[in-house]
Amino acid sequence: MVMKKKSVPEWLNSPLWYSKPPDDRPISHYNTKTLRPDSSPPPPPPPPPLSKSPSLPALLGSERSDLPSGEPSPCHPWLEEEPRDSELLVDFRITVRVTLHVVAAPSEQLLLGYFPLDHTLWALELEKKMKQYNKLKDDLLLNPSEITRRMEASAATKTEELANENIGLLSRSEIKHEEHPLSLSKTSVWNQYFQEAEILEQIDRDVKRTHPEMEFFCGDSPIAKTNQEALRRILIIFTKLNPSIKYVQGMHEVVAPLFYVFRNDLDGTNATFAEADTFFCFAELLNIFRDNFCKQLDYSVVGIQSKMEKLSQLLKRHDEELWRHLEVITKVIYLQVSPQFYAFRWISILLMREFNLTECLHIWDVLLSDPEGPQETLLRICCAMLILVRRRLLAGDFIANLKLLQNFPNTNISHILHIANKLRGPTVD
Amino acid sequence: MAHRVDHEYDYLFKIVLIGDSGVGKSNILSRFTRNEFSLDSKSTIGVEFATKTLQIEAKTVKAQIWDTAGQERYRAITSAYYRGAVGALLVYDITKKQTFDNVQRWLRELRDHADSNIVIMMAGNKSDLTHLRAVSENDGQEFAEKEGLSFLETSALESHNVEKAFQTVLTEIYHIINKKALAAQEAARNSGPPGQGTTIHVVDSSDAGSSKSSCCSS
Repeated sequence: MVMKKKSVPEWLNSPLWYSKPPDDRPISHYNTKTLRPDSSPPPPPPPPPLSKSPSLPALLGSERSDLPSGEPSPCHPWLEEEPRDSELLVDFRITVRVTLHVVAAPSEQLLLGYFPLDHTLWALELEKKMKQYNKLKDDLLLNPSEITRRMEASAATKTEELANENIGLLSRSEIKHEEHPLSLSKTSVWNQYFQEAEILEQIDRDVKRTHPEMEFFCGDSPIAKTNQEALRRILIIFTKLNPSIKYVQGMHEVVAPLFYVFRNDLDGTNATFAEADTFFCFAELLNIFRDNFCKQLDYSVVGIQSKMEKLSQLLKRHDEELWRHLEVITKVIYLQVSPQFYAFRWISILLMREFNLTECLHIWDVLLSDPEGPQETLLRICCAMLILVRRRLLAGDFIANLKLLQNFPNTNISHILHIANKLRGPTVD
Repeated sequence: MAHRVDHEYDYLFKIVLIGDSGVGKSNILSRFTRNEFSLDSKSTIGVEFATKTLQIEAKTVKAQIWDTAGQERYRAITSAYYRGAVGALLVYDITKKQTFDNVQRWLRELRDHADSNIVIMMAGNKSDLTHLRAVSENDGQEFAEKEGLSFLETSALESHNVEKAFQTVLTEIYHIINKKALAAQEAARNSGPPGQGTTIHVVDSSDAGSSKSSCCSS
């Protein structure tokens, strides 16, 4: 029985928010053809405007005009009708390109935008990014043989130059005897190469396991192979440019949707820039969420533990009854359903495992464009997910609840976002 | 003290699955709990959780299995999951020598974070890939004997020895508990004349917020 607690706002107990009764159907993740749940409760009344700045796509002019069907788009497509996949992709591309820098540095606003607001300049911007990316590829993806060959070539030229300048004086300083595969020198490119080998293997293993249910990413088709290669290069370059965090499992899940939307750009030219585009957006996104991947920060105020603690506090503030059940009552009986058992994955890979790719794009779109910032928004969405299944959680014990939260049921994403939107601002004390 | 909660099961044992990334931990778990195997399963992020109920010597035992991410970065986080674990399945890949060499590191990890009486089974997984074998069964056996671990070679793909590995761990835990229960009864009989109250100090060996399910804590 749901008790009306003083601290629980009225809307929380609305039957609209209860998920479907438990069923044992396997969760059909990645059924990307449909966003509409088959037998979901009736859609909620239109909520107050969502955080996503409606002015953004409008500001940009409509990239949607590229689409075959030119229907006017509703203000909040994810609430009034489910967006078509293609619309969602377009929306999401806009959000990612324009807002990533904005949310990363709100004070600088659009001045620091990864992309200029005027989207007629995008082609130019993409070409610039492509050049930068190619340079990175050139510099960072060489194998040690090539590096040593280049070093030898440049050393030889220098020696020659020096010899010409100071005839009779031999310069030995440029001659390296350490660059061979058996070198023990720590600075040896070969030594570094072998140290990196473990990480490269890890990247390989994970890239091959990215969205195994999607032909775009997995399988033996040439497309899948090409796409895997692109993801691999992006992650390797990121790893080399960020030696303090390197590659952490899960990053492959974060990079995948970005690559998917850019590679599927209706504009074929843009699609050819997909790899470079993805790399820079991924780097921006990680700029915001990198602390979650950093082991050294786990127990600091910015690390993932404190994010999970914040989620717990957020739940306590908005739904104390549920919080008490998960973290106090269950603990008395057996073990606390602590966020570290379920929310670690939710937070670290931005919910990528909990929903199918299309649904995730929908969520990310809101996540990246919310004025409260992606960190806060993510926690509100996580909290909304808990509230959405509150009735089942309140009836469940430790094991049942953990199983439910680690395999989040098929859900209407609009419901989650609507609840998440309600969780902002002052709360009833 | 083991857990006796309701009529569904007599005991609840927590088991952790550990080992390097890519050795097949998640497939061992899915093979054991759902009889499923997938060549392209996703990498584990953080921790995943499954249960299976089975019979051990006429008792119903519920195994609660925690599958952890293998990458180094996750160790600081996953060590918290060892709390209350009474058994561990330490997995390596027989086709990758490095994963066998790292077993030592995983044992250290267990010693640092888990109960000292935890029952450990070392499993050399992917035994179906004989043509790629890089660690001999003998090497595995010798290492296990030296370290006092149980050992089996398993194949989640062929469903070989997976059930047996878990059965062995769970049975061993069950025997330890039985022995402890007998010893406790013995101690109770010997402590003073009957009828006189005996104070029993229940000491929770783990700190606040931890599980109470550990059967091996003193």
